[in-house]
Amino acid sequence: MATSLDRERLGPLKDSVAIVGVGETDYGSDYRGAGGKAVAKGEARYDSYTLASRALKRALDDAGLNKDDIDGLCVANLSSERACELWGMNPRWSGGGDAAQSIIEATMAINCGLCTTVALVYGNAQRSMNTAYGGSRVTGGGITSYFYYAPWGLTSQGALYALLFQRHKLLYGTTEEQLGAIPVAFRKHACMNPNAVMQKPITIDDYLNARYIAEPLRLFDYCLINDGGVAIIVRRADMAKDCRQPPIMVSGFGWSEENVDATQLRPRLKDFYHTAHRDVAAQVYPMAGVTPQDIDVFATYDSFSVHLLASLEGFGFCKEGEGGPFVQEGRIEIGGDLPCNTSGGMLSESYMQSWNHQPELVRQLRGGLGQRQVQGAEVAQYVHDVAGKCKSIIYTKGN
Amino acid sequence: MATPRPIRSMDPYAEQFWSYTQIKEFRLQKCSECGKFRWPPGPTCDRCLSDEFEWTLMAGRGKILSWTTFHRSYFPEYPAPHTTIVLELDEGPLFAAYPVKIGPEDLSEGMELSLRWTDGLDEFGDYNLPVFGPLTE
Ligand SMILES: [Zn+2]
Repeated sequence: MATSLDRERLGPLKDSVAIVGVGETDYGSDYRGAGGKAVAKGEARYDSYTLASRALKRALDDAGLNKDDIDGLCVANLSSERACELWGMNPRWSGGGDAAQSIIEATMAINCGLCTTVALVYGNAQRSMNTAYGGSRVTGGGITSYFYYAPWGLTSQGALYALLFQRHKLLYGTTEEQLGAIPVAFRKHACMNPNAVMQKPITIDDYLNARYIAEPLRLFDYCLINDGGVAIIVRRADMAKDCRQPPIMVSGFGWSEENVDATQLRPRLKDFYHTAHRDVAAQVYPMAGVTPQDIDVFATYDSFSVHLLASLEGFGFCKEGEGGPFVQEGRIEIGGDLPCNTSGGMLSESYMQSWNHQPELVRQLRGGLGQRQVQGAEVAQYVHDVAGKCKSIIYTKGN
Repeated sequence: MATPRPIRSMDPYAEQFWSYTQIKEFRLQKCSECGKFRWPPGPTCDRCLSDEFEWTLMAGRGKILSWTTFHRSYFPEYPAPHTTIVLELDEGPLFAAYPVKIGPEDLSEGMELSLRWTDGLDEFGDYNLPVFGPLTE
């Protein structure tokens, strides 16, 4: 790939926009329902638009803005037309994708002068709709390996991550017990988060005693399937001070994809997607003017626990193959050297497909989270890696 | 009747791959310009964008890269436990399949396996499925 990154043009975009509002639905109480019992899959209670609309209203209230202040819109898992119609919006610009992609796109659109204030809105009634991530109903969402090997009985994103972790075990001697420190830590964080779906602590023994789904991954290595919505308001930095909350700056971002031979699983199994990680790291840290040592709070896409090993190694928090030992002894817990997925993440808070990580990092930088607060948090990083489609955002406290 | 299996992904190139399996030939496309093998089948060489290729007979040998055992049944045709593997073929491409005549406890990193055929059936018709087993039985 030709080197095309233009740091001179990218540099001024540092701190050019701020996150001024965040909103989420009630993941925990929605999951448990009125009777306090988990809602069964396929028991339709919500649709995605109900959840997205609720999150949008909360994000606008959080920012102290109203819908007429919004002139750009990114929706995810929704039809843009239907969403705009529902919310009475005629945006001047619209985009969409995962959370990190949408933040990068919104930053670009604002800096181009197309708009000043962008709402990013996601809604997913995946539990109500009984969405399948393995088996004969999988369509792949554009990722061929998710369905291509069905004739051999190889299916589900979990199994593909199980192959990745098995490879990590074979190459580096990483153990299942080491991996278990990740879901145990995230669950501990969820128990400090009243909005998290999961509220009961788990021990490493609970982890090891739970059933395998796709061995070597067990039940607690898998994310939740729950309903929810998330909204984020991104605003031009010079207008952010008019808002109710202290602005949280978008200080750096990076994007790189590793798609060659993706269906063969080559970047997954031969590289752990580290080429993309390294490429994104080379963008995001210099742009924000920080290094991995400066990161106070970290969050990674965690549809499966093993994502964290891959991203910690790929972004240089530890050497390749040393992720297993790195995540031990509370290092990734609140109070440790690098608190990771402090809301409980997608394993234990809510499976919002990257969206719930952003409000949590924003809240950590705003401060005042009580026992869940990472003390003195000033720099936060999100790493997105879905099958090698890697992006990262660095957030910092505004002045 | 052949063994029913979860449905194949079909396009004109996949159709050709699977039709060779009916005569038990494991052929992948090899770029006529630069010699790169590709999988899954498709119109273009990802290295040089040439659309000239030959369906080339593979040696049918590869080394194990990784495996996973399903303890949950996702397809009625593959009740748990069911083990799948990913091999690196001698010609270069990685290939996912399932192991035959060897249990998951006997698999190891880099172990060499060779091609076997087993029958298959889906709504596109009868075919043979390439799977992999020990070099010597
Ligand atoms: Zn070629």
